[in-house]
Amino acid sequence: MTNFLSGYSIQKWLESCPQGYLEDTVYGHEAGEKEPEGLFDNELLREGQIRSTCNLVLGERAALAASSGLVNCAPDYKSKTFLATQTLDEARHVEIFTQRLFDLGVSPADLEDTLNEFGNPHLVKFAEVLLEKVDKGDFVAGVVGQNIVLEGMAFSVFEMLHAGAQEDNPKFAHTLSGTIADERRHVGFGENRIGALIKQYPEKKAECERMQAEMSGHMLATFASAFKEGEASNEEARRLQKEQGKESHAMYHGVDLAQADTAEMEAVLADTVLKEFKTRLGRIGLEYQSPIAA
Amino acid sequence: MNDTLINQPAGEDRPRQMYVLEETGFKEVPKKFRRFYRKWGGPSDTLAPNEVLCPVCKIVIRSLQELRVGDKVYCMPCMSRLIVQEEGGRLVARVNY
Repeated sequence: MTNFLSGYSIQKWLESCPQGYLEDTVYGHEAGEKEPEGLFDNELLREGQIRSTCNLVLGERAALAASSGLVNCAPDYKSKTFLATQTLDEARHVEIFTQRLFDLGVSPADLEDTLNEFGNPHLVKFAEVLLEKVDKGDFVAGVVGQNIVLEGMAFSVFEMLHAGAQEDNPKFAHTLSGTIADERRHVGFGENRIGALIKQYPEKKAECERMQAEMSGHMLATFASAFKEGEASNEEARRLQKEQGKESHAMYHGVDLAQADTAEMEAVLADTVLKEFKTRLGRIGLEYQSPIAA
Repeated sequence: MNDTLINQPAGEDRPRQMYVLEETGFKEVPKKFRRFYRKWGGPSDTLAPNEVLCPVCKIVIRSLQELRVGDKVYCMPCMSRLIVQEEGGRLVARVNY
């Protein structure tokens, strides 16, 4: 069996992504798709969507900074090549979620102010822990933080948002589908590359585990405040559905997102992400640590 | 790649069941490889004898042949190389780092 690194090439990335599942998309969705009309008639709903999209933009900006920083500290050219493709994936994610803010009525001139207003401070701290490792040129810790912790979180968050958007907002669901496909490659690189490297550098384990505990703490704090802030908007969406006689059942890991309260939704997301961390870290030889309270 | 099954243990004494794969709507790999993968439907999704779940990206890998313990398979969506093992009477894939 040849080394897994032989699979990483720009050509393969071109065939899978731009010439594959992204072919004919416009900012990640099908041409002509629009946000649901009802969003623009209801300020509470529109603000809820702007708030959650701001956090997607901030998360992706952190991923862009981390993956581009990791290119220079990668120990081999195949890893550099993969991280170069990941850098472009992350830049695309920043762009498509920023475009969604514009589609939701945020003007380009107000973009940074909007991100400052709605961005979650815990998410910023989550990113700072990762970027500190990247700035030090620590490839092993950087890839664990970026491709296992950050991408593992993003993978589950996108899947939950995708489940919720499938019926009511095909444009956003299509945008998320492409990002989920990208995340599969990113977590795959994280596991495969670090699974091999951690055997080579066992002395890095304790530091990586400490970072995972810190990042997990900030992640849980992000979820707690994001779900709390989104509560009014969720309630409003349900009220409108009831009023219009619509019945939706968006299932995510056994929870009906259309019926569950925000505490249940937060619990299922946190539980899913932490279980995934535990399993993934165990596979690559790291021991999962309980989150450090932020 | 002609199949996701990239290597199988030598010296098998019984032939393997062969399968014809059809498209399942999975679009995350180049067109010619799409029939080899499908989305997983969660824990209630029963896998066929020629299928195994990728533990890294949660995509079902499909082969033209029945899969057996010791087979080495490739998951193109996350680019992982996996080894088929048995766990609780079911076939599972483990990452080959």
